[in-house]
Parts: sequence; structure tokens; C-alpha cells
Amino acid sequence: MATVTPDILATSSPEPEKAAAPKRAYPGALVVVEGIDGSGKSTQLYLLKRWLEIHGYRIHFTEWNSSPLVKSATRRGKQRRLLTPTTFSLLHAADFADRCERQIMPLLHGGYLVLADRYIYTAFARDAARGCSPRWLRNLYSFAPTPDITFYFRAPLDVAVNRIVAGRPKLKYYEAGMDLGISLDRSESFRIFQERILANYDQMIETDHFVLMDGTVRVNKLQKLMRQIVGEKIQLAKFAPKKSRRRNDAIG
Amino acid sequence: MTPSDKNRSEQSAATQGEIAAPSNGRPRKKAKKKKGTAASDVTSRFYGIPLPGVNLEELSGSLIVLEGSDGSGRSTQIALLTEWLESEGFAVQTMGLRRSFLVGEDIDSLMAENAVTRTTLALMYSTDFFDQLERRILPALRSGLVVLADRYIFTLIARSAVRGMSRDYLHGIYEMALRPDLTFWLNVKPEIAFDREFKKAHTISYWESGRDMSLSNDLFQSFIRYQSMMKKEFEYLSKRHGFVEVDGEGSVSEVNRVIRKRIAAHLGIQRTHYQPSHALMQVWR
Repeated sequence: MATVTPDILATSSPEPEKAAAPKRAYPGALVVVEGIDGSGKSTQLYLLKRWLEIHGYRIHFTEWNSSPLVKSATRRGKQRRLLTPTTFSLLHAADFADRCERQIMPLLHGGYLVLADRYIYTAFARDAARGCSPRWLRNLYSFAPTPDITFYFRAPLDVAVNRIVAGRPKLKYYEAGMDLGISLDRSESFRIFQERILANYDQMIETDHFVLMDGTVRVNKLQKLMRQIVGEKIQLAKFAPKKSRRRNDAIG
Repeated sequence: MTPSDKNRSEQSAATQGEIAAPSNGRPRKKAKKKKGTAASDVTSRFYGIPLPGVNLEELSGSLIVLEGSDGSGRSTQIALLTEWLESEGFAVQTMGLRRSFLVGEDIDSLMAENAVTRTTLALMYSTDFFDQLERRILPALRSGLVVLADRYIFTLIARSAVRGMSRDYLHGIYEMALRPDLTFWLNVKPEIAFDREFKKAHTISYWESGRDMSLSNDLFQSFIRYQSMMKKEFEYLSKRHGFVEVDGEGSVSEVNRVIRKRIAAHLGIQRTHYQPSHALMQVWR
């Protein structure tokens, strides 16, 4: 990196976050889903949430970009297309920090099972595809607790892109990665952008201990698998309703 | 979970994050030499990773930073320096905290609400900073302007550091910042700053007295303690980054003369005599 070339095409994240055993200074647990748009992750997390909810577990669901805190700034930036890769990334990090400090951390300390639709890996994959330095991004989000399970939903690019393009009349400017100037055609730009993001996700499978989920498997089958993995990796009893344990056996 | 340190070693020495890890060998002074030697300084104009998409060779302007607490006289000096530079034929662009179009107002309202946590606030400020850097300062420097910054990353780092955030973390965020050509630190005792601020506003602001930190219920005590912590942080930053320390307790004209002299040397201005206009004479005293 002696020469100053913008690593716009950077698709690698060369910092293997060497299996740093996550510190768990809290009784709660964190399960996150990651994957490109159209990979089926939100559907699966929703079903997982319903399952736990119906049985009365202490859970909380949280999703990316839901904080009212930076909404006006994000809207302003997006509408007027003022965001650069750096400010785009920082604004989302500020938003995430707000949710992390005011929601996720207190809930983990309070003994909740927290379910997150998208987490820091979304930023790593997406912002690196925009040209941000992976090392800089890792530092930026270093305050975030490491998940207990990270489900990575992977669907072939065509499958995922078609799911999105078919369902949405018009892709938004930043969503389609139009700010990168890859292509003037929105669908084409979106496709290439998603391809880069997918490659960045793939790089993290090992370093960040992703649990790989095949997004092409039938919804109910995949959900069964997801519930099974959660049951194995998380001590669900900790989050079970206190009064009666009557139906716990039926789970899974 | 701070992988940044490990990976820093992968970077070549030229781009190593100097704010985070003080440079070994490369003389800090180099970056402060007069223009013309810029070509060899290309890699050192950022602290670490360069900001994506910046061609440093295009940056022909100068970035001059004034740091110092509230009541240190920064704004007065910037007003005077702007006039002086313009009278010498230099075009000036200014920047300051919370002045970005993107999030400037949002930070104002966040701070008014008191609901914001330290990391979020720090990141909103960094968004504000980089928005101004990318969309105001860099274009100005490309056009050969002199940019006068009313505070810079140092205040932002210090504020978060005294609130207990990791210095490495903060330096990591700002390693993509442009290194100033000159950084002046207007150093004043907290007591003097208190007098000046009180005279100006007849009260002391919530944030400038660090009231979010629960230091003391007495506003004066809180202000002094907070500003003393900031001062200590600045002493450390000053050594690390080679600030030009100016005794901010001197008179406006004395302080101005000292700063002018350094800037004149940097920009190659021969004549440093300057008589402020009538409009500015009121702040001169």
C-alpha cells in the first residue's frame, strides 16, 4: 500500500480476526443473520423469532437501520446523494452504535436472547465493496459484541438478485451501488455490487465462524435446521419462561 | 476485539498509522516543510490509510488548524487571520465542528436531547468531520486555498478519550484524516477560559463543562475539572503531533503576531505587518 491507490475494487478482508474467543461478560446471547439481499435471511430469522416468541422465551429482535437517531441524516444524505463511501460507512456505524449501546448491550446484560437481522458483517462486506479499507472497518466496529451464532445465508447471485429485482419496482440509488459508477443501468449495477458483497461475505466464513446456510433449500426445511443449530449452540433453557416448562420438549 | 493493531504491521512503513503508533524514524517535521517538497511527502499527508479516491498531488493549498478550548480565542484569531490572508491575496476556506451539511444540525439536536451515548456521538462527529473534509476541505485544497480549521480531529479525539474511549480506536477512525500543515494550540488555563466564557455568555455550557460526566454538581468545579482533563489530553497530543503551542493568555494582538509569523513563513509571505479593518478592530482588544 505504498502507493495511494483507492482500493475501490477491494473484495478481500485480510484481517483474520483470529478466533479471538469472544468475551462474554453478560448472561444474554446474540444470534445474527447475514447474507446478501434476497438470500432469505430475514424470512428465516422471522420464523426463528416466532418460534421462540410463541414459546415465551426472553428474546428481542433488532434490525439494521432502524434507529430514529440518524434517520434524518441518512435520508438527507441519500436523497441528495451526498454520501461518500467514508461518510456512508460512518453514518451507519453511528446508527449501529446507538442501537448497540442503548439496546443490544443492555439486553445482553439483562439476560435476553437477542436476534439481529444483519450485524457488523453487513458493514464489512458492503462498505469494503464501496472501497473502504477492511482494516479501518474492523476498527470502526470493534466495540460490538461478538455473536454467539452468525448464520450466513448464501444463495447463488442470480437467485438472490432475481428475488429482489422481481419484487421491487425500482432499486434505490445507494442500494444499487450507483454511487460506485459501475454501470448506468440500475439492475446491472445492483448485480455487480451484490457480487462484490457476496465475495466479501465468503471471505469471512472461516475467520468469523459463520454457520453457512443454503438459501436455496425449502423454507421450512431450512428453518428446521436453523432451530436445531440454535438449540445445540445456545443454552435455551436460560431464556425459557420461568413458570412452566411444560412444552419445552416439543421444541425442535 | 481490536484486530487493527495486529494488522497494522502489514502496512508498509510509509502508510503506517502514525497517530496510533508514533512513527519510528520518519521525522515529523517533514510534513511541515514549505510547499514544494510536497511530492516526497505524499504518503505522509494522511496519518495512516489514505482516504479513498484522493490524489494528493492535486492538493496545492495549505491546511492550518487552530485548536484550543472554548475561551481560548480561536474564533477571534480565525477572523483576524482570514482578513490578513485575504489582504495578502490568499483565498481562505474555513471549517469547524458541526458545520457539515450532512449531519451538523443532527448533532445539535442529539446534544440537546441528552439521550445520546458516547460512541454514537463520537461517530456522528466523525461523520461530520469527514463530510467536511471530503466535500469542503479537499476541494478547497485542490483549488489552492488556505483552509483555516476552527478545531480539528484533536478536539474530537480528546473529548472521547476523556470519556473513556480507547485512544487506539479513535486514532483508527481518524487515520484517514489529512495531516495539517500547521497546528496551533492556543493554550489557556481552565480558570482563564472560564472567565472569558462567562463574560461572553453569562453562563457555562453543559458540554463544555463536561456535565455528562458527573464530575461535580458545582458548575465551576465541573468546568475546571473537565477542562483540566482536556488540557492534559492536549499536552499529550501536542507532543505526539508537534503542535505549535501558543500562550493563549496573551493579548489578541500578541497571539495573532505569533501565529501570523509562523503562517507567513509557511506560505512565503514576506511582509507580516497587518492592521485589522475597522470592522474587526472591536475584537482586536
